[in-house]
Amino acid sequence: MGDKDEIRDFESAIDELEQVVKALESGELSLEESLRLYERGVELSRFCHGRLEDAERRIELLDERGARSAAPEGLADVGEDGDRS
Amino acid sequence: MTPSPSLPFDEPTGRDRPRRTVLSVTELTARVRMLLESAHPEVWVEGEIANSRLWKTGHRYFTLRDDRAQLKGVMFRSAARSLRFAPEDGLRVVARGRLSVYEPKGEYQIVCEHLQPQGVGALQIAFDQLRRRLEEEGLLDPARKRRLPLLPRVIGVVTSLDGAAIRDVLQVLARRHPTARVLIAPTRVQGEGAAGQIAGALERLGAQPDVDVVIVGRGGGSIEDLWAFNEAAVARAIAACPVPVISAVGHETDVTISDLVADHRAPTPSAAAELVVAHRTELRDRVGRLASGLRAALRGRLGRQRTRVLELDRRPGLAGWSAGLASRARHAAELTHALEGAGRALLSRRDRRLRVAHAALEARDPGRRLEARRTRLVAARTGLHAAWAERRQRSRARLSDATGRLEALSPVGVLARGYAVCWNADHTAVIRNAAAVSVGEGVSITLGRGRLQARVTGKD
Repeated sequence: MGDKDEIRDFESAIDELEQVVKALESGELSLEESLRLYERGVELSRFCHGRLEDAERRIELLDERGARSAAPEGLADVGEDGDRS
Repeated sequence: MTPSPSLPFDEPTGRDRPRRTVLSVTELTARVRMLLESAHPEVWVEGEIANSRLWKTGHRYFTLRDDRAQLKGVMFRSAARSLRFAPEDGLRVVARGRLSVYEPKGEYQIVCEHLQPQGVGALQIAFDQLRRRLEEEGLLDPARKRRLPLLPRVIGVVTSLDGAAIRDVLQVLARRHPTARVLIAPTRVQGEGAAGQIAGALERLGAQPDVDVVIVGRGGGSIEDLWAFNEAAVARAIAACPVPVISAVGHETDVTISDLVADHRAPTPSAAAELVVAHRTELRDRVGRLASGLRAALRGRLGRQRTRVLELDRRPGLAGWSAGLASRARHAAELTHALEGAGRALLSRRDRRLRVAHAALEARDPGRRLEARRTRLVAARTGLHAAWAERRQRSRARLSDATGRLEALSPVGVLARGYAVCWNADHTAVIRNAAAVSVGEGVSITLGRGRLQARVTGKD
C-alpha cells in the first residue's frame, strides 16, 4: 500500500483505495486495524472525488520563454456550449 | 647501321613547321578543366553510389558507377546539408551537377548540386534511415513505452493554434472531462524550422511540474506537410520528455517517426484527446463504487462483531459461559469420552489377544519363555497407557484453548477494548439505528466498566 500518509496522485489513490476495500472485505483484520483502514479509505475516496470535481477548466498558452498566459477567447471556449462544429 | 629516323626531339628543320609549345602539367590540367567545365556546365547522370563518405568538413565524396564505368563525385557542404536522406552505398540516384577537374590529383569529377534517389522516394529513404538509426539507439523499444496517467492534472499540447487539430482536441476534452486543464505550446507544424520549434515546445512542456502528459500532433496533409514529425530533433525530444507523450499526426494512415517514438500513437488529434482522459463519469462511478464498497466492508466487519456481542449479551450473566462455550465444552467432553472408550477397547483387545497367546504358550511351554512374554506384556501395557494419557492431555489443552478464545469474544472483552453498547432508556433494547431514538430521549450506555445514563442532544 506504499506510503501511508502522502497521496501522490489520483492513480495511486484509486489503487490504494481498491486495496483498502479488499483488505476490509477479507475480514481478517482486527477491529482497530479495520477502523484505521476505513479512515484511510475515506481519506482516499475524498481525494479522488476532489480531484474529479474541484478542478476548473483552464486553457492556457506556454510561450517560448516558458511563461503562461490565458488562451485567446476563440480557443478558451471551444466545446464549452456542447458540440458546435 | 641504317640511318636513324628523325627523332621527335630534333629541332625543327623547316620554317613551315609550327613552333612547339611546352605546357606545365598545371597549365594543361587547367586547360582540360576549362574545356570540361565549359562543355558540361550542367549534366544529369544516373548511377549507383559507392564509397560514400561524409568528411568532417561537411563535404561528401563518393563514386557513381554503372557496370562499365565510374565517375568520382563530390557534394559540397551546403548542397549535402539540404539532402533529406543520406546517400548511402548501393543507392541508385540521378545526380545533377557540373563536371570539373580536381587538379591536385588530375581527376575529373562531378560536383553535385542535388541527388534524386531512383525507385523509392527520397523521403521514404530518409524515413527508413532515421527509423533504423532510432531502432539501433533503442528509442523504439516497446519497453520504453509509458502508461498514461488516469487523470492528468494538466494536459500539454504541442501543435499550431491555426489548424483544426487544437480545436478538435479541446472539443473532445470539453465533452469527456469538462474540468480538464490544458497548456498549449504553440508551434509551426510544417515548413522551415517547424521541427526545431516542436522539439523546443516538447522540452518546455516537459519542464512544467504539473503537466502529466503531452499530446503532439497536427491534422492531415501531404507527406511534405507532415515532414517535421519525421525529423530526428522531434523524435529525440519525444524520447527525452519526462512524461508520457501521445503522437497524433495526420490521418489514420499516416505513420510518422514521431508516432513510433511516442509512448502512444493516436490516429488523429481527436483520438489523442480521447486517449488522454477517461470519461469523468466513468472515473466518478469507479470512485463511487469503491467508496460504497468501503462502507459496506466496514459495516460487515462491525456487524459481525456486534452480532457476537449481542448474542453473548442475551445470556444470563454477562461474563458467564456462552452457548458457544458450552457446546464446545460438550464437544470436548464427548471427544474425551470417545477417546477413553477407544483406549479401553484397544487395551482390552490386546489383553484378549495376549490372553489367548498366553494360554497357548502355557499349554506348550510353561517355562522361561512365558516369563519373558509377561515382561513384554507389562511394557506394552505401560506404553499404551502413556499414549492414552498423552492424548487425553492434548485434548484437555485444546479445550482450554477454545475456552480462552471464547472468553476473548465475550462482550466484556470487547467492551474493555473500547466499544460500548447503547440501550434505550429502560434498558430493554439495544439501539442499532439513530432513527430509533429521538433528540431529548434518554439512553443507557454499557461500557467496559460501568454504565452511563445519557441524553441524546443531536443526531447526524
